[in-house]
Amino acid sequence: MTHPTLEVVSLHCVRGRQIVVEDASFALQPGEHVALTGENGSGKSTLLRAVLGLDRPREGRVYLQGRPQVPGSPAVLRQVAWMPQRLPLGRFPFRVDELLASSGNRAAALESAGRLGVRGLVSRPVAELSGGQLQRVFLARALGSLAAPGRAPLLVVDEPTAALDFAGQAEVADLLVGLDAAALIVTHDEPLARRCDRCLSLALGRLQDAP
Amino acid sequence: MNSADLLDLLSLAPVQRGLAAILVSGVGMPIVGVFIVGLDILTARFALMHTALLGAAIALLAGINPLAGALTACAATGAALVPLSRRPSGTSGAMGFVMTVSIAVAFLLLAAAGLPASAAMELLWGSVLATRPADLVLLAALNAAVALAYLALRRPLALVFFDREVALASGVAVDRVLVVTLVLVALAIGAVMPVTGALLVDAVTLLPALAARNLGGSLGATVGLAVAFGLAGNLLGFGIALALDQPVGPVLVLTAGTITLGTFLLRRARGGPA
Ligand SMILES: Nc1ncnc2c1ncn2[C@@H]1O[C@H](COP(=O)(O)OP(=O)(O)OP(=O)(O)O)[C@@H](O)[C@H]1O
Ligand SMILES: [Mg+2]
Repeated sequence: MTHPTLEVVSLHCVRGRQIVVEDASFALQPGEHVALTGENGSGKSTLLRAVLGLDRPREGRVYLQGRPQVPGSPAVLRQVAWMPQRLPLGRFPFRVDELLASSGNRAAALESAGRLGVRGLVSRPVAELSGGQLQRVFLARALGSLAAPGRAPLLVVDEPTAALDFAGQAEVADLLVGLDAAALIVTHDEPLARRCDRCLSLALGRLQDAP
Repeated sequence: MNSADLLDLLSLAPVQRGLAAILVSGVGMPIVGVFIVGLDILTARFALMHTALLGAAIALLAGINPLAGALTACAATGAALVPLSRRPSGTSGAMGFVMTVSIAVAFLLLAAAGLPASAAMELLWGSVLATRPADLVLLAALNAAVALAYLALRRPLALVFFDREVALASGVAVDRVLVVTLVLVALAIGAVMPVTGALLVDAVTLLPALAARNLGGSLGATVGLAVAFGLAGNLLGFGIALALDQPVGPVLVLTAGTITLGTFLLRRARGGPA
């Protein structure tokens, strides 16, 4: 029997005194693309960060390809391909090619950068990119991680099209939908959400299947 | 003063030790400055100086070497910074607290023991020309350790300075990198204090790093420039101070400050942000 690529069981997350995510359970089968939607502030990023181990959930378990993961440890983050919602710029000049190399597969990241139209920016400092260029570079990095050795075939991205132009939104949607790997995609981009295999929505702390 | 007099001065052992001290700190301390800027722990250096004072006070009470006490306190503070520096709110609040409490406790301890506060305050003052052989050995060892740590860790460090979470996602053992760099930063500051005095630590540490950040196009270039500025500022300051018979510390600050100002102006002239 094959395990789900990602399985999350009764995850509870708090932020300050507020319960942001309550008893969330879901699974991604291999190759399955799931959109996670919900209003601003409904807790999508919080849920993602807890799954990745960037923040410690109050409760809950996370399994990657059937293997239990230590809650609140960044082990999951290291094993998947990831793009955060808030993209960092760094305090010292950091070049785009250095960022792409950190994906674990520089060649694959560079190739994705080419597909996303940012290959020509590799020698520029990250801090000097436009918002959309930065998003494309981080996406290329995440796609490089998917091809890096020792990673689970899972992409976790938080609003991957938020800063993109119209053509870019469609291109990235094509690219994501065409991936063989499983993907958990937080998005407000309705066409992208509709093209995923399944849509989950978060409201008032509760995770539900969305139509 | 003519050049023969200057050569005479340079034949004196304290002057030679002073020169050696500012040469080695011209290499390692600017790298420490880059670490401080990169880790965004600018306020931590004040806390370090004050916990060093507390360590020295405790050592004086216990009858051991005050510098050993100061360094132990620095290393402990450096290690304590690791979890703090991970918080989004940063270290400033906690460091302000640590700083004021340590200095208060240090003075209370000294008063209770009937020791003059000046015994520990010596650490805050310091003098390049009063560098003792043991101070010099310690300073050289720590500056070498800082330079080696940078060379060994430059890739993971560049990622940690860029963003801790991206570094984690790239498989960098962020906590281990932080422990090594923070403890080295703390120890190096503790060791340079008796030489430059706490008040002038910034001149050899932070100013070259800030000057380099104005012009460097990558972490590697920034570190290279910081070391170049550090060495140039220290040597120039030392030479001018000797030639004009002025105290070394303040002259050093002025040369380092002039270099930093020059880089700001250069960046503006190139059209960078003011
Ligand atoms: N660091 C924080 N400290 C305290 N509360 C926080 C923090 N980050 C987020 N929150 C709160 O937690 C709730 C969920 O935030 P989260 O970022 O998960 O929302 P989101 O669904 O991703 O929203 P968006 O669509 O705007 O990205 C919000 O009410 C937010 O104000
Ligand atoms: Mg969000």
